[in-house]
Amino acid sequence: MTRVERVRAETSAGWRSFVRRRTAVFFTFFFPVILIVIFGALVQTDPTGGGLFAEPAAYYVPGYLAVVVLFTPLSRMGSEVARHREGNRFEKLATTPLSRAEWLLAQTVVNAVIIGLASVLILALVVALTGAEIVFSPLLLPYVLVGVVCFCAVGAMLGSYTDSQDGAVAASNAIGLPLLFLSETFVPLEQLPGWFGPFVELSPLTYFARGVRAATIPGSDIPTIAGVDPALSNLAVLAVVAVVFFGLGARSIPRTD
Amino acid sequence: MEAVVEAEGLEKVYGETVALSGASLSVERGEIFALIGPNGAGKTTLVRALTGTTEPDSGTARVLEESPDAVDRNRLGVLPQAFSPPARLAARELLTYYAGLYDDARDPDEVLADVGLADAGGTWYEDLSGGQQRRVCVGATLVNDPEVLFLDEPTTGIDPAGRRTVWRLIEELASAGTTVVLTTHDMAEAERLADRVGLLADGALVARGTPDALVREHGGSSRLRIETDADTGAFRGLEYPTERPARNRQRSDRSETDGTVVVRNVEPTEIAAVVDYLEDRDLAYSGLSWSEPGLEEVYLELADETERDRTVAPTNRSEGSDGGRGSDDDSRTDDELPPAGETA
Repeated sequence: MTRVERVRAETSAGWRSFVRRRTAVFFTFFFPVILIVIFGALVQTDPTGGGLFAEPAAYYVPGYLAVVVLFTPLSRMGSEVARHREGNRFEKLATTPLSRAEWLLAQTVVNAVIIGLASVLILALVVALTGAEIVFSPLLLPYVLVGVVCFCAVGAMLGSYTDSQDGAVAASNAIGLPLLFLSETFVPLEQLPGWFGPFVELSPLTYFARGVRAATIPGSDIPTIAGVDPALSNLAVLAVVAVVFFGLGARSIPRTD
Repeated sequence: MEAVVEAEGLEKVYGETVALSGASLSVERGEIFALIGPNGAGKTTLVRALTGTTEPDSGTARVLEESPDAVDRNRLGVLPQAFSPPARLAARELLTYYAGLYDDARDPDEVLADVGLADAGGTWYEDLSGGQQRRVCVGATLVNDPEVLFLDEPTTGIDPAGRRTVWRLIEELASAGTTVVLTTHDMAEAERLADRVGLLADGALVARGTPDALVREHGGSSRLRIETDADTGAFRGLEYPTERPARNRQRSDRSETDGTVVVRNVEPTEIAAVVDYLEDRDLAYSGLSWSEPGLEEVYLELADETERDRTVAPTNRSEGSDGGRGSDDDSRTDDELPPAGETA
């Protein structure tokens, strides 16, 4: 049995388990939809009027995508790790050839499929409801995938270091919410205090938002990194962070209790 | 014989709790070794140390001539205690899933049949009964046809018929050369399955041997239980040691004389003499039962010494009393009566 086949077996089990939790499936897709309806269609953006949503509708596309790319892996992985711990599943898996990295990879694949589908739904709704004018760049796919890898690893760490499903979900909310709004997703850097700038640079989601914006809005004034096109350079930064986090996330997964 | 599982002086401490304090054992190929002992004795920690899922603080362990964390996982089958796989996978899907993690796996349907669940393959795990769930978990340890099986309380929650199915399966595996280390609280299970039994108490193996040898050494004598309300003094004329089980005296709402009296060292052919004794003296009794000592008596003899040390209140100890015995098991005695002719 190859590594690929082990990951396939774990992915298949993870996918079946997810799609059979109907409320989880429903709210995974309902959450971003309701957010777009509230902010995009009801509150609406106002490019000329100032306030929180003062940018053109297309500006917020990375923010809407970030809702699923950030929150879904954090909460799902945190819960999944906690569930595995409560059922002594990691102890069982530790005695099989499946490594912790392979387990995390399989769970990441499951999340990537779910979040990929949710992202397509979000993009369609954003365009339909807010009239956002965006380019459907092929780079959107790697951004979503790399973002999922990054935040699945963070979710695995949260699940490993908290002691219950409740704790994992609470921790994912506590970390996810500030990150979502303070990573140049919905709130431009200019609207934040100057001293907060360095913290924004530390958030991996910032590179996701800047990169997606650069890829979907031609001519946007996203700064380059080391002279490289921002759509590619931000992806590279995010990929490096994802690789580091993936290693840390895999190491954090417990073997017994 | 070839030692397949070996441990020497394993120690493990969690905070202030000593889980293992020098546990040593050796299990040979094809042998079934049962670990028994009270809750918290260190059985699960020992299994974890042997399967590489916990690192002992000191001591050495070897499985298939490798350290536990280096041994080829394809050669091991492990059933953790309180293991709960994904609940919304069907039994067959679960076995297919675990089979998919190994280099070479058995047909999941064959394994389902082995654990007596051929008809339940399509049922979600969460919809199976507790005993069926545990049998699926046992099946998940067998999908890779392991050389060494570690089963932590494999039959917990399984009904008697299902338990026998699992027992037969374990016996067949051992006959085919699989080495089995299991933990259990079921003495009948240990007695039926185990070639050798190790009794863990306070993190160390305080006794080990074949069930017969342990019973001979620690099990004591045969017991004739008499269900009677008669006063204990009425039995002093018997020529056998007579005891009143501890439970009779623990409840304050019971009188000194209700319950059971145990007569030791009575051979089956001598039971009639005891009955004659009762009837000659018009001692009313509602039942008689005779038993040879078994592993349960060994367990109670050895494990309860540790349990008593833990639970007896200091005041009781200073008074030299046994009144602090916490268990209400009726096979232990604290009111031993001397044989006839001796002063009570």
